[in-house]
This record gives sequence, C-alpha cells and structure tokens, in this order.
Amino acid sequence: MMLGFDVIGFLISWLTLFGTYAILSMSLNLEIGFTGMADFGKVAFYGIGAYLAATITAFTFLFVNGIKCPLHSVEAIVALKECASKNPALNVSIFVLCILITFIITGAIGYLISYPTLRVGPAFLGITVLSFGELLRIFMRHFEPTGGTKGLAGIPHPLAWIPDPRLRDGIYAAIVLVVMLLTYLLSEKIANSPFGRLMRTVRDDEIATLCLGKHVPRIKAAVFFLASGLAGIAGVLLAYYLGSVNPDMFVPAVTFNVWAMVIFGGMGNNKGALIGSAIITFVDRISFVVNLLFPQAIISPDYIRWMIVGLLILITLLFKPQGLMPETPIKTLALTAVAEESGGEENA
Amino acid sequence: MIGPTEVLNTIWIGIIYMIIALPLTLSYKVTRIINFVHINFITIGAYVGVILFLLGVNSLLLVIPASFLFGAAIAVLNHFIAFSPLEKRGANPVILMIASLGLWIFYKYVVYAFLDLGQKVFRTNLFSVIPRATSLPDVSVGGYVLSGHFFAAILVAGVILGVLYLLLSKTSVGRAIRAVADNPTLAEISGIPKERVVSITWALCGGMAAVGGLLWAVFAIATPEVGDALILQIFAVSVIGGLESLLWTGIGAFIISGAENILMSLLNAVLGVPVSFRPFISFSALLLIILVKPPLGAGGGLPYRFKIVRHYKR
Amino acid sequence: MLEVIDLARYFGGIKALDGVSLKVKKGSIVGLIGPNGSGKTTLFNVVTGFYEPTRGEVWFNGERIDGLNPNEIYLKGLVRTFQIPRLFQSLSVLENVLVTPPHQIGESPLNALFKKKWANQEMNLARQAFNILKMLGLAPYTNIKVSDLSAAHIKLLETARGLMGGAKLLLLDEPTAGVAYTTARELFDFIVKLRDEKGLTFFIIEHRLEVLMDYVEYVYVLHNGKLLSEGKPDEVVEDKKVIEAYIGEG
Ligand SMILES: Nc1ncnc2c1ncn2[C@@H]1O[C@H](COP(=O)(O)OP(=O)(O)OP(=O)(O)O)[C@@H](O)[C@H]1O
Ligand SMILES: [Mg+2]
Repeated sequence: MMLGFDVIGFLISWLTLFGTYAILSMSLNLEIGFTGMADFGKVAFYGIGAYLAATITAFTFLFVNGIKCPLHSVEAIVALKECASKNPALNVSIFVLCILITFIITGAIGYLISYPTLRVGPAFLGITVLSFGELLRIFMRHFEPTGGTKGLAGIPHPLAWIPDPRLRDGIYAAIVLVVMLLTYLLSEKIANSPFGRLMRTVRDDEIATLCLGKHVPRIKAAVFFLASGLAGIAGVLLAYYLGSVNPDMFVPAVTFNVWAMVIFGGMGNNKGALIGSAIITFVDRISFVVNLLFPQAIISPDYIRWMIVGLLILITLLFKPQGLMPETPIKTLALTAVAEESGGEENA
Repeated sequence: MIGPTEVLNTIWIGIIYMIIALPLTLSYKVTRIINFVHINFITIGAYVGVILFLLGVNSLLLVIPASFLFGAAIAVLNHFIAFSPLEKRGANPVILMIASLGLWIFYKYVVYAFLDLGQKVFRTNLFSVIPRATSLPDVSVGGYVLSGHFFAAILVAGVILGVLYLLLSKTSVGRAIRAVADNPTLAEISGIPKERVVSITWALCGGMAAVGGLLWAVFAIATPEVGDALILQIFAVSVIGGLESLLWTGIGAFIISGAENILMSLLNAVLGVPVSFRPFISFSALLLIILVKPPLGAGGGLPYRFKIVRHYKR
Repeated sequence: MLEVIDLARYFGGIKALDGVSLKVKKGSIVGLIGPNGSGKTTLFNVVTGFYEPTRGEVWFNGERIDGLNPNEIYLKGLVRTFQIPRLFQSLSVLENVLVTPPHQIGESPLNALFKKKWANQEMNLARQAFNILKMLGLAPYTNIKVSDLSAAHIKLLETARGLMGGAKLLLLDEPTAGVAYTTARELFDFIVKLRDEKGLTFFIIEHRLEVLMDYVEYVYVLHNGKLLSEGKPDEVVEDKKVIEAYIGEG
C-alpha cells in the first residue's frame, strides 16, 4: 500500500507526459484535423525522434570523453552516468541540437514515406505508415548497434548537472511545456493562414482543390513533413525524460492513444488537442497509481484502459463528432476587408 | 533454395490469404469502408476454434460454421451500431475508417481481457496456442510427408471459394451485392434493398475472414496478435486487386505469398537476408503497387500523375 | 483558343467520348449540348486533365495540354466548374471563393508563418471576391457555411469560384441547373458582360436550351460520344438529327 501520496511528483510526471502527448496530438491534428490525412503511424516518427536523440547524445558524450565502446554496452551506460554532469554546456547544446536535427530528419523521413501515398485514397497513407512503424520496430529489435530489444540506456539528461532531482524534473517539465506552447503557436499560425485554408480544402475535397490549380500532393507532403518533424521532437523530449529507449516502447497502441486525444478533444481545433491530451494523460497517470493499489485485478486494468480508448473514439464520432471543442472558422483578414468594402449595406 | 517446402507454403498461405483478402475487397466494394475490424475477424475466428477445441468439440465441421457465425455476427453488429448511423449522418470515408479503427482497438483488447480470464478458467496458456485437436492422418506424396491438415485446409478453402463464387454469380442475392458494389445509387433506384444487401455482405465478409483466421491458426498459431500480424499482407493483396477486382485479389494472394516464401528464401540464400525480415517484402510490394499501379478509381484518390509530360508548342 | 482533335475516352467498354474535334475561339461564348449521358461532362473532364484521353489531342493557346495534371491545366487559365458542385463544405462562402486565386503568397507553408507577408494580398483578394459575390447576389451569405446554403446558391457559388481565379477560358458545366429562370438569365447577362469587359471566353454545357440559345454564338451537339451537329444556334435548332436525338432520348 502506498502511504503519503506524492502530489508534486505526480504533477511533474503528469505535466511532462501531457506536454509530450500534446505535441503529438497537435501534430496529428495538423494531419487529420485540418488536412484529413489519416496517419495511423504517428508512433513511428515519435520513435525515430527518441532513437535519434538517444543515439546522438550517447555517441557525442562517449566521443567527447574519449571512451570507446558500443553504445548499448554496460560500460557505456556506466561511463555515460559518470560524464553526464561534467559539462552543463555540452548537455544543453546537445539537447537543442537534437531537437533541430530530429525535426529535419524525422520530417524528411515522413515526407519520403508518405510520397507514394500522396495521390491515392486516405486508407493507403494509414496502412503504409502503420506498417512502417511496425516494421521499424521489428528492425530495431534486430539492430544490434542500438541494443536490439534492450535498446539504449543511460542517456545523459540535459539538466543532469542540477543536483536536486526534484528541481531537475520540475525544470524539465517546464521546458517540455514551453516546447508544447511553441508547437501550439506554430500550429495556430499555420491553421489561420492561406495555407491553413488550403489544408482544409484538401480535407473537404482534395479533387476539387487539385482542379483549382493547387498542387495537392505538395500540400499534403508539407503537412506530413511538419507533423512528422513535430512528432520527432516529442520523441526527443520523451527520450531525455526516461533516459532510455527500446523498441517496444513504440507499439501501435501509442498512436491510438494520440488518436483518442485528438478525436475526443475535437478534430481541427488545437485547443481541443491540448484538452484531449490533458484529460487522457491525467487519467493515465491516475490509473497507473490505481494499478499499484490493485495488483491482483481479475482482468488487467491495462486491457480495460485500451477498450475505453477504442470506445472513446467510436462514441465521440457517433454522438459528438466535433469533440469537446468544435473547429473554429479561419481567422484571416478576409472578413475585415469585406466589412470595410460593404460598409453598412451588409447586415444579413 | 527453392524446394517443395517453399512451393507448398506458397500454396497454402496463398489460399488462406485469398480467403481473408477476398472479403476485404468485397466489403470495401460494397460499403466503401476500409474496415480495420477485419483484423479482429481473423483473431476472433481463430480463437473460436481454440476455445471450442478446448471444450472438446473436435469436428472441423462444427468449428468452421461456429467461427463463421461469430465473425458474421460481429460484422453485422458493427454495421448497425457504428457504420450505418455514421453513414446516415453523412460521415466521409475517413471518419468511417477511423470509427473502424476505434472498433479494432476495442475488440482487440476485449480478446485480450477474455483470454486473461480464460487462462484462469482453463488453466492453460491461451496467448499462443495451436487449435489442433483433431489428428488427421499424414499423407506421403513422392517421398514427402504432408500433414493431413494441409489437405483439409485446401478442401475447406476450395469449398468456401466455390460457394462464394456460386453465390455471387448464380443467386439473386449475389447479383444484388454486385449491383450495389457497381453503383449504389443506381441499385437503390432500381429497387434493391440496399440496407439488407449491405448487412448480408458484412455477414459474409466477417464470417469468411473468421474462417480464414481459423485455418491460419490451425496451420500456424493463434495469438491475440494473429490478425494484426497479417494485416500488412492482406492489405497488400487487396491493393493488388485495386480494392475492386476479386479476380486480381485472388491472384494477388499468390503473388504476395510467393514473394514471401519463394523470393524470401532466394534472398536468404543469395544475400543472407534474415527470414525475420519477411514482412519487409510485403511492405515493399505494397509501396511498389501504390506507386506503379495505384488503385485510383475505387480507392478514392487524386487524378494526379507523377510522370513528367513534355509540353508541345505549335 | 481551345482546340480538341479526335478526342476519345473509353471506360472499359463504354465509349463515353469517341473521336470529337472542336474549336472554341477567343472571346466567344460557345455552347455544348446533348442528351443525358452523351459525353459532355466527360469531354470537360478530359480537357481539364481530370481523365487521361484514350486517344486524341487537346491544344490550348498553341500549347498541347493533354496528359498534364488538372492543377497545371488550371494554372494555364483553363478553368472548369463541376456539374455536381464540389464546394468546400466546412468553409464559408467567402473562403470558398478566396481559395481560388493562384500563387497566393500565404499558400507557402513558410510564408504562412509571417502574417505581414500575406496580409495585404489577402485583403485585396477578399475585396475582389466580395465583389464577385455581390454581382451574383451572394453577398448576404458571405460569412455563411456552405453546408447551410440552398441548392441554387451552391450552383451560383460554384460559378463564382470559377470566375475568381486567373481564368482565360471558363468551362461551365450546367451553371443554371436548379436555378430560377430569371436568375439564370441574369447569370448569362453577367457572362456576356465578363466576356465584353475582360475578354474571357466561355464554353458552356447547358440543358436549358431556351436560355442558352439566346446567348451563345456557336453550339456543338454531342450524341453517344460523337459530334452530331454544330453551327449557329438557329441552325442547330432546326437540324433534324438533333431533334431526333433529343426525342429519341425521351
Ligand atoms: N468514371 C466513369 N466510369 C464509367 N463510365 C463513365 C464514367 N464517367 C462517365 N461515364 C459514362 O460515360 C457516359 C457519358 O457520361 P457524361 O457524364 O459525360 O454524360 P453527360 O453528357 O454529361 O450527361 P448529363 O447531361 O446527364 O450530365 C455515360 O454513359 C456515363 O455512364
Ligand atoms: Mg454531365
């Protein structure tokens, strides 16, 4: 039995999880909510991001400190632990660098993998990226340089030089939330621009959009690049938070979780994505605690949780298709212009 | 390299792919829904067999219809609780597909929860079993010993495919199904009860996929992920058929199965590609088909061509 | 301006279009008529790159355009509307028109981030769009979602969208279907005005011959995918073959 529930610890872990998932949700919202692209393989890009961060960081630390051993070996983990807090500047700069590099590489991979599917029906993108994620996981399980099934561990935290773990985790949670906020601002800017309008026309009727002279495949590719890149950043944040990565963290279920958040929160609304991820990650954390209290349940609470995720998607679509927060009209300047133009004559 | 084993595997796996992929194509043709619950049909069909065998029901003649009924019931249920209401509200194909995604997750973990309970009841490992209670005699052909199950499966598959063919081509129900598939609006105008035809199609497709799952399990293994593990191949097969042609779906089953077995063992022998990379073959096949022969008309999609066209000037 | 040479398109066994040749001169208003299923829409679809031709050539402004993608053809100034309107359901009437102008600055994802870059253009386009809506009598609905619009207004909006872009030749597919008689005449008056003022060319499919014949200079008649007749409106109306085709169809 747990005595003395650690509220602050709970909050910190929830906020970190929330920030990470909110970035994923907003990136999925760009795809499905605004552009109508059914990305069933979100987890692939999340995983690529996490693995990139883990590999780059571990490699750089070992290299800078002149240690020669495989990234996944026990010596490496020990060595990384020793040198993690020696040079704060190194930690922080690698963190920033990883975010930038990951965004570009993950985005580029997303672009490449979506390319064959850009002109075929909505199902094909879904199946292709879903399979891509699973194959990537199978591949990573067999890929020894990143530790196979065991993955990589001991990844130096960007704030490892802060001695107090509580303070360190708190600041890290704040950083995650800042990245989340930046993602939100970016998504809002994109959604409320002429490009955002194009995204919505592609969603409503991609054929009509093409016949209006818009390069629909290019629009979709751009959205997929951006969304995959953002998912990669979420992966980076996760890798540093946990300090380790392994292939089985990135199962398709993670994707479904994000889908539930977006659909429940409201497709085509970034605030909805935020709220959806806040609620579902909160329930997640709570049920994690509850799990600890009831280790001997007849049916594993995990299964029940996933059934609820599936049902939540279905029920929202059936009974409240706009989700908690319906889509809002585009905020461009068009209406102001029209109001000026028509003066007082228009009052319908 | 390519021995009788590869050829035999190609045949039986091809047949099972066919039994599972044909209903996917057919249900898409009729309903225009990409149905992820197809994955559950496979798993559930397999486990109906497992449970019945555990309960002492040994005859395939009983187990196969039971499997069929289970799959059919779930398919029809989905139609009534989810797809039909959504369609009446004018939901677009993407929304319908996402709804099927939700159902897929739900059923998948229902199976998990059920097996979790079942393990405690039956006191045996249910998470990876082979439902093989009946022992059919082995047959030896030209020095090769073939399991009796091989022939049983081929027989069952042959019967199912034959019935499907007769049903679609010779009966009035079959004609109605094809009419709805070809042109739903026209079919409705000409007095075909579309709603009923769609339900029958769902029942047929759900049942068939479940039997396919059962046969697969008898040969290979039943796990809660058995359907998930087959999804890539099955979709690749259906995409070869353009989500439209049943004939090409059938041919596609053998193309994919052949690539997975014969091509794989070639790659393994010549280039040393590990066998665990088998799914990559189906994946490459899927991408290749989408690039080279995209299923545009039926699968939705853009009238857009990647090729570069020369501009002639006068 | 537009020249179609021996154009054909088969769907399996159906010869929806079977060797059609025709010309549309710059600055003219040309009609395309024919019984249901005669291949009119298919002709538009092939000309605008929606379908690839089975055979034949399409020339536009001295450039061969068959085989190009629909978006490329649009950008050359060949703009079509759909028989069954394909509007963007979740957008407002104004936005539906506003999407059309090609090469908007804010349409690049990078520029989209910087409002300063595209704000000016957006305002100008919005004013233009509003004027077009005003002329078609859609001004009161500017900020209404398309899904809440009546059928006739939808049809008009589809045309408004066609007029907004940088069109040189407009292919209108039954622009007045379901629109009241007087509104239909107003629309055609407006088309003539646009031709006179802006030098646009129109190629119009219409079932309402009583309206169409008063406005067009030349008419092509399709039947079973083939050109049945062509000529000045009064000549075509007299043509026995045309009358038979229409009667035979019921
Ligand atoms: N995508 C398609 N696949 C198969 N057949 C088609 C397709 N598009 C058109 N057709 C067929 O081609 C023929 C011509 O159709 P089209 O739509 O061009 O006629 P239309 O002259 O526009 O008729 P309407 O006056 O009713 O609009 C019809 O028989 C139709 O069934
Ligand atoms: Mg037509």
